[in-house]
Amino acid sequence: MSENQNPQTQTSTATTDTDQPLTTTTGETDERTRDEWTDYEFRGEAKMTVDDLDVYYGDDHALKGVSMEIPERSVTALIGPSGCGKSTYLRCLNRMNDRIKSATIDGSVRFDGQEIYQDGVNLVELRKRVGMVFQSPNPFPKSIRENIAYGPKKHGDLDTGLLARLLNRSDAEERDRLVERCLRDAALWDEVSDRLDDNALGLSGGQQQRLCIARCLSVDPEIILMDEPASALDPIATAKIEDLIEDLAEEYTVVIVTHNMQQAARISDQTAVFLTGGELVEYGDTDQVFEDPHSERVEDYITGKFG
Amino acid sequence: MPREHYQDSLDELRSDVLSMGDLVTERLGDSLAAVERRDESLARAVADGDDEVNETYLALEDRCVDLFALQQPVAGDLRFVTASFKIITDLERIGDLAVNLANYSLAARETVAPEVAIDAIGAASRGLLERSLAAYETGDAAACRAVAAGDDEVDALCQRASESVTRELIAGTDDDGWAAERLLDDVSRVLLTVRDLERIGDHAVNIAARTLYMVENDPELLY
Repeated sequence: MSENQNPQTQTSTATTDTDQPLTTTTGETDERTRDEWTDYEFRGEAKMTVDDLDVYYGDDHALKGVSMEIPERSVTALIGPSGCGKSTYLRCLNRMNDRIKSATIDGSVRFDGQEIYQDGVNLVELRKRVGMVFQSPNPFPKSIRENIAYGPKKHGDLDTGLLARLLNRSDAEERDRLVERCLRDAALWDEVSDRLDDNALGLSGGQQQRLCIARCLSVDPEIILMDEPASALDPIATAKIEDLIEDLAEEYTVVIVTHNMQQAARISDQTAVFLTGGELVEYGDTDQVFEDPHSERVEDYITGKFG
Repeated sequence: MPREHYQDSLDELRSDVLSMGDLVTERLGDSLAAVERRDESLARAVADGDDEVNETYLALEDRCVDLFALQQPVAGDLRFVTASFKIITDLERIGDLAVNLANYSLAARETVAPEVAIDAIGAASRGLLERSLAAYETGDAAACRAVAAGDDEVDALCQRASESVTRELIAGTDDDGWAAERLLDDVSRVLLTVRDLERIGDHAVNIAARTLYMVENDPELLY
């Protein structure tokens, strides 16, 4: 199935009004029991606004009425125990859950004010603008250079054609400039600049993950979603990724799922805590959540009393 | 409950900070008794016992640093370890001030300074210390605020005592030269005693302030 088509898995009713949620179930929110600590007023502009988002996998209610705003150019961490729905939530932000046939998604996700859950959304374009980095590094079995250039080439971004020809400049020059910029932005250039044609699978795990981040940057995203990007890495590689994430947040909006609470505390500006049952229990400035959480359940979870 | 060993180490820290509090309270009581009774051997025991207070302080400081480095406490646990880390410093300082009081009592021979209510001020300061430690033990925010309010009383007692001594000093200068000189020594000692008792009250308020931060994340009493 082409990703450009409205996926069958989505149960929404189509609407062309970009400011309207796709579907809402009247009265359902009022009946839910939810902690009151999610009304977080952050500073700055919302890059993404999620409103009353529910996700079901078949009969399993994986995410329950989640509403939150994600500020631009900052790091938002999603933490919580296994099975709490944080990865499900992350995947809703660029409609990756559409690929799961049993998934039913209900609610609204607006990106720069535009509803992403509506008919006619170009999912390829959406996922270019909302990139994703996964838990295990997954470089293509190609050269380092080709890993970076693959996306722009596929999307046609390098086919500047006419201008390049008029300037008598080959696309290769354009491509190499892009490769260097992305590798520099991903703090990998100094380590690989002399072996760009080597196979990417020969890089260490940490280098592969930074290559995947560079690859993600190559299509010029605005938001970068990261699903436990450092969980398979050693402490040194983890530190490099964490530094990189903080640097990226100067230009991009980063949303990161992590099991490592100290990592969330170190690198994020705001933290959302999901607890078992798919509830967003608390959302606030990271220092507030880790020094003085409002919710007792969150306190118990982050101090290790939650069994 | 996960992290049982970690929880045990937090409980142990609380218990050991309270033990240090008991030790310092006892030393303060001894030094006040030494001042009151001019008990030289008790005063020397307080001075000699300061090493024990210092060693206890260093051991607890190490314990807090280990908890920060190895367990990375957060939320209420973080505030508890942070508060404890600061409170042991106040206790150590109170231990030093108790030694000062003991040394003043050793220096005091036959005083010609006016009688000021050292015992009353001492009892009030010691009372604040005991109440601040009780607030830490039970996590009682209202008791923390009461300690801060109680310090006003200690300050007022100290103020009155200082004024009384100063007035006596001025009056004493009309006497013979030798009496004025003796009086000056006594006055200095009494004023230092009053000042140190006032500081003990301040440290007790610090303990209450850190405890309030620990319990309610409220910095109200910190400054």
